[in-house]
Amino acid sequence: MAEIPNVRLSLSNRPENVLVVRQALTGVADSLGLDAIETNDLNTAVTEACNNVVLHAYAGEEGPLEVDVYALADGLAVAVRDRGSGIRLRPPERDSDDVRSGIGVPVINALSRHAEFKDLDGGGTEVRMEFAASKATALERLDGNGRGSVGGARTQCASTVELSVAPTALARAVLPRVLSVLAARAHFSTDRISDVQLVADLLAASAFESISGSHLDVGVMMAPRNLELRIGSLRAGHGESLVAAGAEGLAPVIERLTDARRVARADSGETLELTLVDRR
Amino acid sequence: MPSLATKPPSSLRADHATGVDSLQLFRRWQRDGDGVAREELVRRHMPLVRRLARRYGRSAEPFEDLLQVASLGLLKALDRYDADRGHPFVAFAVPTILGEMRRYFRDSGWSVHVPRGAQERALKVRDAQERLSNKRGRAPTVHQLAEYLELDAEDVIDALQALQAYETFSLDAPRAGGDGEAISYGDSLGRDDEHYELVELDVTLSAVLGYIQPRERAILHMRFVEDLTQTEIADRVGISQMQVSRLLRRSLDQLRTLTHAG
Repeated sequence: MAEIPNVRLSLSNRPENVLVVRQALTGVADSLGLDAIETNDLNTAVTEACNNVVLHAYAGEEGPLEVDVYALADGLAVAVRDRGSGIRLRPPERDSDDVRSGIGVPVINALSRHAEFKDLDGGGTEVRMEFAASKATALERLDGNGRGSVGGARTQCASTVELSVAPTALARAVLPRVLSVLAARAHFSTDRISDVQLVADLLAASAFESISGSHLDVGVMMAPRNLELRIGSLRAGHGESLVAAGAEGLAPVIERLTDARRVARADSGETLELTLVDRR
Repeated sequence: MPSLATKPPSSLRADHATGVDSLQLFRRWQRDGDGVAREELVRRHMPLVRRLARRYGRSAEPFEDLLQVASLGLLKALDRYDADRGHPFVAFAVPTILGEMRRYFRDSGWSVHVPRGAQERALKVRDAQERLSNKRGRAPTVHQLAEYLELDAEDVIDALQALQAYETFSLDAPRAGGDGEAISYGDSLGRDDEHYELVELDVTLSAVLGYIQPRERAILHMRFVEDLTQTEIADRVGISQMQVSRLLRRSLDQLRTLTHAG
C-alpha cells in the first residue's frame, strides 16, 4: 500500500515559512490530541529539520521545502525534504569543540521516537521523524484505493504556499492556522485575519463534498493586503455552489467574506479562486 | 539554583583553562574534581544551553526560568558524560538538557494547562489590540501588535489562536480599563428579543436561525447583513473583536451543522 500523507506543504525555504510549518503542525497536533509537551517536542524537532533546509540545502539560494505529515495509529510521522545539494544534517563530529554546529541531529533524535536521514534520488535529502502521542485520536484512514492522491511538488516561488490535506477533521484544524499566518504576513489586520479564519473554517468543513480527489488542495498567493486562494480540484459545477450568493447553506457567507470569486475550468473539473483583500 | 548564566569565570582562572581542549577539561573535572575545568566547560557550553532553552521552550515560560532548568541539565551532563566511550559531548548533552526541561514542564502541569506565559501573553495581546483599535479606529496588524508589545510575530499569532479557541481560558474576565463588571450582551444590545433575520443570505439559514442564541444572531446580522467589520461590531456590543470572531465562528459552525442535519 502506497503511503499517502494526510498533509503536504510545499513552500520555499524562506525562513518565515518555518512558521507556516509550525502552525500547520500545531493544528495537526490539536486534531490528533497531542498534549502540550508532545506538541512542543514535535515542533522543536521539525523546526530543526526545516532550519537545515533554510540555511544549508541550497547554498544561500531559494529552493523548495516540502513537509509531509502522516497520522499514525499511535502518533504521527513527519518527513521534511529538500531538493538541493547542500549540506545535509549530520551528527556532531567527535572532538569538535564548536557547539554551534550539529545540534540539529541530537535534538531530532532526542525528541522523536525514531528518525531517519536519507538522500533522495535526483538530489536532495529527507528527514523522516516519528512522534508518539500518549492518547492519539484516530483519524479516518487514507488508503491507496485509487481515490487517494496528494498534490505533487509544484513550482515554488517566495510568495506561494501549497497545502494538501485530508480528511476533513485535519483540514479544519490545519487550514485556519495556515491561512491566518499567511494573512498576517500579507499585513492583514486582526479583524480581517479573523474573516480569513472564518473562510478557512467554512471551506474545510464544506469543500470535501465537492473535491474530485481525496485531498483538499489549497494554493495561496500573497501580496500586501491581498490573498489569493486557489481551491481544487473540484468536480464540475461545484465551484459555484461553494460560494454563490444564491446557493444553499453557508455559501453566501463565503461570498460576503471574500472580495472576488472566480471558477476556472480545467480538464478534470474546476478550480475555485477566491480573493481576500484588507482595504482598511 | 545558582545563576550559571550570569557568572563569568574570573580572568585569572580562565588563563589556565581556555585554549585547553574539552577532553582534557573533562578529565580534569571528572577525575581530579578540578572546579576551574568545570567552570570552563560550563562557559563553553552555555551557548548550547541558551539555544536549546530558546528553541525548546519558546512561548512557554519566562526565558530566564527555562535557562535555569536547562543549565541544571548541562551540569548533570558534565557529571555523567563518559569521554572514553567516543561520543561527542554535544550528542550526550542535548538529550540530557532536553530531558531536564521536559521533566520541568511535566512536573509543573504544563501538559494539561495553558502555560502561564502563553496565557498572560494572550491577554496582553487582547488588551493591546483593543487599545490600538481605539486609538487608530481600525484593527492593528500582527506586526503592529508585535512591535507594540515587543514580541515575536509568532507569539502574537499563537496568542490570537489561543484567543480564538472556544474555551481555552476565560476571555470574559474584565478587560483593562473596564469597570470590572462585564456587561452582558443583552444589556449592551438592549434589544435581544428583536428578531434578526438573515433572509438576505439564504432561506435554508433562516429556517434554523431560531436555534442560534439571540446575541449570536444579532452578531451574524451585523456582520453579514449590515456588513459591519468585526471591530465595529465589537464597539457596538461592548466586547472584544476576538470575542466577536469566536462567536461568529461558533455560530457559523452551529448553522452549518443544523443546515446539514436538516
